[in-house]
Amino acid sequence: MNIRETWHAIASVALKEFLHVWRDKRILALILILPPFFTLLFGYAFEATELTGVHATIIDRDRTEHTAKLAEMLAKKKTFAWKKTKDTGADPDLLRLGVSAAIVIPKDWTSTLEAGTPAPLKLFLDGTDATSAEELEGRLREMLGDFQGQENVQELTVKPLLEELPSEIFDALKTMKPEGRDKVKVEFQKLVKPWQPDTRILYNPKLRFIDYVTPGIIGLILQLLTVTLMACTIAREREAGTLAQLIVTPLRRVEIVIGKVLPYLGISLFLIGITIGVAYFHFGVHFRQPIMLGIICLLFLLCSLGSGLLISAFCHTQTQAIQFAVFYLLPVFPLSGAFAPIERLPDTVRLVSDIFPLTHFCEAFRMANLRNADISFFAGDLLFLAIGAIVTCGGAAWILSRTDA
Amino acid sequence: MPDPIIVLENLRKAYGATIAANDLNLAIPRGEIFGFLGANGAGKTTTIRMLCGLTRPTSGHGFIDGLDVWTDRYKIRSKFGYVAQKFSLYPDLTVTENLAFFGGAFRVPRETLGARIEKLLTQMDLVGKRDAMAGSLSGGMKQLLALACALVHSPPLLFLDEPTSGLDPVHRQQLWNLLYELGTGGTTIFVTTHYMDEAERCTEVGFVSEGRLLAKESPRKLKASFKSKLLELEIDPVMPALAALRNAPGVLDATLRSGHARIYAAEPERLLREWQRAWPFPDLKWIGHEWVEPDMEDVFKAWSQGYTSLLDRTAA
Repeated sequence: MNIRETWHAIASVALKEFLHVWRDKRILALILILPPFFTLLFGYAFEATELTGVHATIIDRDRTEHTAKLAEMLAKKKTFAWKKTKDTGADPDLLRLGVSAAIVIPKDWTSTLEAGTPAPLKLFLDGTDATSAEELEGRLREMLGDFQGQENVQELTVKPLLEELPSEIFDALKTMKPEGRDKVKVEFQKLVKPWQPDTRILYNPKLRFIDYVTPGIIGLILQLLTVTLMACTIAREREAGTLAQLIVTPLRRVEIVIGKVLPYLGISLFLIGITIGVAYFHFGVHFRQPIMLGIICLLFLLCSLGSGLLISAFCHTQTQAIQFAVFYLLPVFPLSGAFAPIERLPDTVRLVSDIFPLTHFCEAFRMANLRNADISFFAGDLLFLAIGAIVTCGGAAWILSRTDA
Repeated sequence: MPDPIIVLENLRKAYGATIAANDLNLAIPRGEIFGFLGANGAGKTTTIRMLCGLTRPTSGHGFIDGLDVWTDRYKIRSKFGYVAQKFSLYPDLTVTENLAFFGGAFRVPRETLGARIEKLLTQMDLVGKRDAMAGSLSGGMKQLLALACALVHSPPLLFLDEPTSGLDPVHRQQLWNLLYELGTGGTTIFVTTHYMDEAERCTEVGFVSEGRLLAKESPRKLKASFKSKLLELEIDPVMPALAALRNAPGVLDATLRSGHARIYAAEPERLLREWQRAWPFPDLKWIGHEWVEPDMEDVFKAWSQGYTSLLDRTAA
């Protein structure tokens, strides 16, 4: 086997394959415009995920100084756009009221508050979109916590507690020195204050969702392009009859596979550069361990291109190939953890997630970039991508070798 | 036969119950222009695809230069060029890009590839079209380019699957002249066709029908296998005459040739005597008759229709 001849053969296939893309101006425009456009689109879509301006209403059935204060506090929050509504006395009909959330302050709420056993506020939420409802609930809880933390309300709740204490304690306090008495007071206050953890956020301290979602954006765009483009390469030749012409040449299957993958690999790397550029310059996403990220991207691309090639070798027409590519790509969107952590998925579904290259790409990318972890934390993901690349490309070569073209 | 380049031994290809190639036995010597003649669906393409290692024989063997066409298919690919029935070059690549691609694929050394491409462009008369997209060429030029691509590595053997179907007479002539040139240069050519005039240009012809090889000889000997001359009748009107003659006793078939009805019959002299005595078709006017030499089409018809009474099988 002559290395120079082999290289010449591979280069011939690669050049031919590149010319196919280069000559197809529509596909070329798509390839060049789509990645930056999608990065901007997805970037803006996921940059701010905070809910704002949700229509909500307060139905106050108690009407005291305290409920007025609570309403005033809530009104300041931008999460909600408050609407005034009439109280029918029944449970609020969200659809009719035109709101997504309603808080009902029950009658005699203030008196229960003063008695130290505040009656629960009734919260009505539109659960059509489960995540938003959850988020709204959290937001409201937070607000009620703020309200409770306010001094005067605290006193309201503390006073009844104090009254329940046995008188011996007060006698003991009277005999204490002022410093000691103050210490007891502070400790006591700590006891009745709602427990507040002292939280420190690691790895993505600003909690920017865009930083989290960047690998998802890169991966999805690249996977979409690589799999669909690659899926057509062999199927197109089979359809046009050129595959037979290719097979009667002394080209080895490996040379065909490498020659076909190379130009798309080059194009994809260029596109990753563009995507990362947009993420860095436009959204201010920072990238750590650039060399490691490069390796992760390379393995992911090889694995994706291999999947496309496998589909292509298996299918007989381009239409089939595109259909297969779409059905391969579809479950990847919700299940790969590109936009939401896969930890939310049930275990059985996560087994499916684990077979997608994108899942491992996102995991490794976040480990290296967000957590600045060393390779030992994501070696398994890299290994999966490497094996995936070998298996898919090898599978495509194997199908080619036994093909009745 | 001294050192044949192609040998077929009971080569068979079956697609389910359909037998596309039925136990073919054949040996083709070097330097021959072998014409594989048969109707559509006779098994010509299947045979050529088996020889090119594109499809696996169901049973039997084929050998090129002593190497098995299936098990050694990777080894023999540099030994032949293949022009498929359907245009199968890259339409979005230029003429020279197509040639350069196949040159690389066939491992033509980079140093000599440029000169080889120039020579082929001149030979195929494609110099003026060198930068044209292959897809924009006319049918004839596409076929010339396909031939050039199959010849880029100067193979000793060339397979052509109906290379002239759909071509105009000028390009057909040009293509056959090129094949003669190659044949003269020592290239063995295996060409399938269903054009009888093309079969006459081959050094040897194989008749294939329903997957079976019926005869294999030089065109001259094949024609000699026809026992007698053929009777042609001039009748007016001729079309109803053909229908009537086909049903006449003693007539195997009748076809229209240059306005005359050509009769296939085991004993044409006896028929002529009977008809001269009593013409059985009063509505049809018999103007005259003549005896003609059988051409390739007649021979092929006799062989493929199994008109054994017309043939001297020992001659072919």
